[in-house]
Amino acid sequence: MELLKAIAARDEAALAQLYDRYRVILFGLLMRILNNREEAEDVLQEVFLQVWRKADDFDEERGRPFTWLVTLGRSRGIDRLRTLASRERVAEAGAREAVEEVSDAASDAFKSEQRGLVNKALAQLPDEQKSPLMLAYFDGLTQSEIATRLGAPLGTVKTRMRTGLMNLRELLAGQGESFGF
Amino acid sequence: MVHEDYKEMILARALSALDAAEERALNEHLENCDECRKELEEWQATVATLAVVADPAEPSPKVREHILSEVRKDLSAPEVIPFRSTSRNVWRSFGSLGAMAAVVLFTALIVGLVVMWRENNANKDRLAQINEFLQVASRPGARVSELRGVDLGSGATATLAYDKTGHAMLLADKLPRAPQGKAYQLWFIVGKNPPMPGKTFSPDDEGNGVLRDQMPKEALESAIFAITLEPQGGVDAPTGPIYLRSFEVN
Repeated sequence: MELLKAIAARDEAALAQLYDRYRVILFGLLMRILNNREEAEDVLQEVFLQVWRKADDFDEERGRPFTWLVTLGRSRGIDRLRTLASRERVAEAGAREAVEEVSDAASDAFKSEQRGLVNKALAQLPDEQKSPLMLAYFDGLTQSEIATRLGAPLGTVKTRMRTGLMNLRELLAGQGESFGF
Repeated sequence: MVHEDYKEMILARALSALDAAEERALNEHLENCDECRKELEEWQATVATLAVVADPAEPSPKVREHILSEVRKDLSAPEVIPFRSTSRNVWRSFGSLGAMAAVVLFTALIVGLVVMWRENNANKDRLAQINEFLQVASRPGARVSELRGVDLGSGATATLAYDKTGHAMLLADKLPRAPQGKAYQLWFIVGKNPPMPGKTFSPDDEGNGVLRDQMPKEALESAIFAITLEPQGGVDAPTGPIYLRSFEVN
């Protein structure tokens, strides 16, 4: 939070520090969404330049920096994915690009225990609830598109997504501070 | 739709999984509903935790270099009033060094609009439009962008205001009358992507035009705006000449 205040005050070092802290998780998220290193790096740049310009939009009463940054990064990633899809340039499904090994320091910053917590919570969700959540979050599909993809009625998909997300919140209850990063 | 209908949509909105029409409708509701806005923020926090499921990955060092290089360019830019300031949240800008620029530009906008009204003082509709425009421009988080006439539109001007939900209003001045069967159409241009179509409008005999539109989400953070002359009813991709455009990315 202090970093974002410093960035809003035009502190270049604060932006560098924020980048070092979040680059691994944000780039991992963008790679998962875009499956293309060049596009993911381009969006990552856009995200941090947007943070530089818009840091004063961050409202600490409305959420944590982690939520703000991840929401911003994912939103940019999904926008790019939809643009690429519309140009039919989206990468071949399944042909995941190799990613460089993450340094120890970056791994530390990433805090793998949070990853374990969320994976553990997701593992407790039935597939019928988890699948639509994953398709929405990482593939940027709308409810209608998910219904088509899964061959399920739209109403059923809506119910499963809703139940899945409510269950996820319940399973992660009390872990909120873990995601303060 | 009623409040409960919108509440049902909030979880899907947190996942960006609503269809475009649903999302626009919900965004309009959120503008006036603190309860739903708060609930959305809470769900966004839950949804954000999914990010950690992705395998961590290391970007190349050139990304950091590029970002910091751009930042240094920004910091070393001369302290003049950048056009971009007009698109920033003018209310938030109060109190900063850039505040005076924002105040001056916003005041100029109001004065310009009043002058425009005086020139057409018989036109009560125009006054109502100006009032409506100022209401949009003064909403929290609203932005204002100026469009200038080019080529065939030389001498014309327009001002576009939009709030953070994408509710937009454009006032144009001194536009040539649209020929029979033609109308002016607004476009949203984001990066190198194809222009996204907005609605169409036809100016009156004085060249005054008004347009209310819902901006695509992709254009809210950074876009160039342009107005072309197109077949009445609009087209999906621009075909006619540009009459007005903004010159800085918002």
